[in-house]
Amino acid sequence: MLLDVRHLKVHYPVRGGFFRRVVDHVKAVDDVSFSLNRGETYGLVGESGCGKTTTGRTIIGLIRATAGEVLFEGTDLTKLSRRQFHPYRKDIQMIFQDPYSSLNPRKRVLDIIAEPLRNFEKLSPHEERKKVQSILERVGLSADSIYKYPHEFSGGQRQRIGIARALMLNPKLIIADEPVSALDVSVQAQVLNFMKDIQQDYGLTYLFISHDLGIIRHMCDRIGIMYRGRLVEEGTSEDIFANPQHIYTKRLLSAIPNADPRERGKQTALRREVEQEYAQAYSRYFDETGRAYPLKPISPTHSVAIP
Amino acid sequence: MKIEVNRPAPVEIAAEKSPSALSIMWRELVRDRLALVSLIILSVILLIVYGASIFLDQEEIVKVDFLAIYSPPSAEHWLGTDYGGRDVFGQLIIGARNSFTIGLAITLITGAIGLVVGLVAGYFGGWIDNVIMRIIDFILVLPFLMLVIVFVAIVPKYNVATFILIMSAFLWTGKARLIRAKTLAERELDYVSASKTLGTPDWKIILFQILPNLSSIIIVNLTLNLAGNIGIESGLTYLGFGLPESTPSLGTLVSYATNPDVLQNKWWVWLPASLLILVMMLCINFIGQALKRAADARQRLG
Ligand SMILES: Nc1ncnc2c1ncn2[C@@H]1O[C@H](COP(=O)(O)OP(=O)(O)O)[C@@H](O)[C@H]1O
Ligand SMILES: [Mg+2]
Repeated sequence: MLLDVRHLKVHYPVRGGFFRRVVDHVKAVDDVSFSLNRGETYGLVGESGCGKTTTGRTIIGLIRATAGEVLFEGTDLTKLSRRQFHPYRKDIQMIFQDPYSSLNPRKRVLDIIAEPLRNFEKLSPHEERKKVQSILERVGLSADSIYKYPHEFSGGQRQRIGIARALMLNPKLIIADEPVSALDVSVQAQVLNFMKDIQQDYGLTYLFISHDLGIIRHMCDRIGIMYRGRLVEEGTSEDIFANPQHIYTKRLLSAIPNADPRERGKQTALRREVEQEYAQAYSRYFDETGRAYPLKPISPTHSVAIP
Repeated sequence: MKIEVNRPAPVEIAAEKSPSALSIMWRELVRDRLALVSLIILSVILLIVYGASIFLDQEEIVKVDFLAIYSPPSAEHWLGTDYGGRDVFGQLIIGARNSFTIGLAITLITGAIGLVVGLVAGYFGGWIDNVIMRIIDFILVLPFLMLVIVFVAIVPKYNVATFILIMSAFLWTGKARLIRAKTLAERELDYVSASKTLGTPDWKIILFQILPNLSSIIIVNLTLNLAGNIGIESGLTYLGFGLPESTPSLGTLVSYATNPDVLQNKWWVWLPASLLILVMMLCINFIGQALKRAADARQRLG
């Protein structure tokens, strides 16, 4: 096991009133546990605002956990000071959602991709440039891009630069937060397939975050369905798509757009059916405060949040 | 997707940088007639003022000469004399030098303090930001003018240096707030998060990642501020709370116009100084506006 997230909670204070006192908490992540095996791709799915980004950013240490543990190869990252965290930065990297804001507009590609090298390895400028150029070619950009600025590239190319930067230190785990949702549909498949390629080459483990079940199905070995800061179902891709148990999972699945126009009528009927079931069965799947129940295993790989 | 044109440019030669913020600003400045003319006029004025003041003796100029009170412009006194028989042209040169030096010094000092404080408060946030913002709020509610008047009264050796320090102590807050707000916005962008996950230390993120993205805003703000700071000195001196008469300044010369006789009949005492203030402030403002446009275009590009 590479990563083991245990009872992770991230609560944001809500300030209000006269002295901007803390009046309430947003439970962005509310007791989430899952684990990643070496070499697999774990998908975290859910509607916007359910806490996927917060989960990813807490694992990599950008956000402080309110409670819980993030065990990376047995070490609890949430208990480390900044200095102690430093060596783990090499092992865990992130691909960001927005290929525009994630590259500094004032930096040349060389400086962007060499940034992690400069923090961890002492290389001569020549060695450094060689390394950057070879990784650029690996991600499908020409080697003379190194002196260009980010605005000279398309969204897909920028995302490749972001990926090159994340690969520079040979990480073990990459957290990809909606890596293609800002890209044109025509480019999405290219980048996704490319991510699969490098997973093989570099032996990467992915935590793949997305709201798009189609992409998740394409990419992931195991899937966790997230709803309001909690996991409501977890299983292999097979478990989730062929045998969904939780009412929320079914609802998500029925909302996947169907490309085949002849199936549209059927799909609409199915969707209506699921909506009806959702309204009726809601109280069986959520407690009186609207919170999902803890996960219960129903097979060795498959767990569902039921009472 | 963009189609790559195959250029024969070898890698080593491609090292040519895309235009930096400074060179874009320079281009915009040169293209804008008004700003270019302003820049030339300002440079000429400053060259004359700083050049001539080397040869002028301040002691000599402020010496009272009762035989030459209010003499109109002549070959001996190019711009006549004031009520003490002191040469107005000499006072104008020394005064302009003092006023500009004061304005520039205040701008640079407040800029430096504002930059450091604003970057730290904006980047780290939390309690550091809270403490800094409370201090700034406190300074802002102090009655600035009244305190300056008190300082003028209690500081025994009141000269250019003390004036600069007193002004700077109050005027850095605005810049700190501006830089803090910009830093707060910049900090939320993913490139800062990326730098953190790549193991870059905070001070490097602040200096080498965030600061270059604020450079245009800082240059524009400092330029526009320079005009204001020259005005502040003149204004306060005019009101009688600036520099003493033994230290000539543009404000001193203009303040002679409070005497109706001087205002109506002795134009040579106050008019040149007033015009000089006006021209300098206009020039700096036009330059600042051109830089501002360049900064906006740059932001659209980035
Ligand atoms: N800095 C923050 N302060 C307060 N609330 C936040 C903050 N960031 C996120 N949230 C809230 O936390 C919840 C989860 O957000 P997020 O993790 O971004 O969801 P997702 O990535 O699944 O769309 C949302 O309700 C969001 O409004
Ligand atoms: Mg998100």
